[in-house]
Amino acid sequence: MNKRITATIFLVLALIIAFVSGQSFLKMYDEEPIVKGPGVTRTEMLSDYFPGLKDSTGDTEIYVLEGAKPGGSTLVLGGTHPNESAAYLASVIMIENAVVEKGTLYIIPRANNSAFTHNDAQEGSPQKFTIETEFGERWFRYGSRATNPVDQWPDPDVYIHAASGQQLSGSETRNLNRGYPGRPDGTQTEQVCYGITTLININEISMTIDLHEASPEYPVINAIVSHEDAMPIAADVAINMQLDGIDIGLEPSPVNLRGLTHRELGDATETFAVLMETANPSQGRLRGATNADLVTEGQDHLYEKAADLGRLFVPFDESGHPIEERVARHVKGVMSFVESMSVYDESKTMIITGLPSYEELVENGVGKYLLPVD
Amino acid sequence: MTLIYRIIVLIVLLLVVWNLFDEDKMKNQANAAIVIIPLLLRVLMIK
Repeated sequence: MNKRITATIFLVLALIIAFVSGQSFLKMYDEEPIVKGPGVTRTEMLSDYFPGLKDSTGDTEIYVLEGAKPGGSTLVLGGTHPNESAAYLASVIMIENAVVEKGTLYIIPRANNSAFTHNDAQEGSPQKFTIETEFGERWFRYGSRATNPVDQWPDPDVYIHAASGQQLSGSETRNLNRGYPGRPDGTQTEQVCYGITTLININEISMTIDLHEASPEYPVINAIVSHEDAMPIAADVAINMQLDGIDIGLEPSPVNLRGLTHRELGDATETFAVLMETANPSQGRLRGATNADLVTEGQDHLYEKAADLGRLFVPFDESGHPIEERVARHVKGVMSFVESMSVYDESKTMIITGLPSYEELVENGVGKYLLPVD
Repeated sequence: MTLIYRIIVLIVLLLVVWNLFDEDKMKNQANAAIVIIPLLLRVLMIK
């Protein structure tokens, strides 16, 4: 066959594949609906605090739930890493259910908004997962750990944390939880960090809780990581959760590991900075098929085997770690922190109602507490 | 900087398309066609 004819056929095939895959990649920019619950008093944008983010994918919504009575304030970060689905979903449950009577609750469900617009390469991750509700299915994005390279590229060979000079691997330059306190003239990731730090300073936020998940073979799991200033509160939370039958550990924020919320926000602001982790097998290296079921059901027979071999840092049996359990841990944790902070410093008292208990979430599932989308 | 990067990628893309039509072997043409896909997606800043 004439080489021009075959070349044209190959070119047309390449264009078709690029078009189909391009459509699929562009769908990642669709945002799932988040319904404003009865407690949401207003929404703001992160660009209200750092205008440099306006019209960029780094700009993101802040849901504010302000009580009638003044009190303490708490910032909840969901979606620092959009492949840690329970962290994100827990923040959505809070937006759609929490009612604040005293104090103010700030929630940023899509902290790294850009990272929601793509998947990590070669991970085979789903683009979304769904939750059954009484009103039908609700879908939620499964994103990447890091800012989309389309928004921030190229990665340096070595990422140097601006405030400390600490050196990390180059790809960490797009990790929101390595960029704090951020800087206004830095990368997009650093600018988002700067916006969040500014939000905390301007609103004098009493406590910041960064929600995360980690693979079951990661040592810091089902755990709280706390800045030293927040340690008395975090210790109280860990004890209370243990007394309620929820196994959770407590780790001090390493002084020499820089750029993370629990270190930099505690150092750079007056907030009590803590982070919480749950066990998510869809992030792990030992997992089998990676799909939406793994994200929601949290069950993988290969992890059962790894648990039998003693290679994990959490129990893992045939029940796995379903999303309702992981979301319940985060919601319970946030409520425990708010309660303990109120005891620790009466001037920072917050009263939050409307959120399901740990037992209710585990028994009824997450879908029961998601609102219908208009 | 992004514009310069995209211009460089566009030049590489055009060279690969040229190569596609210049190659005699069908196997090499297929290789060139596969390389075109990510370059095209990157020029358009889709992926």
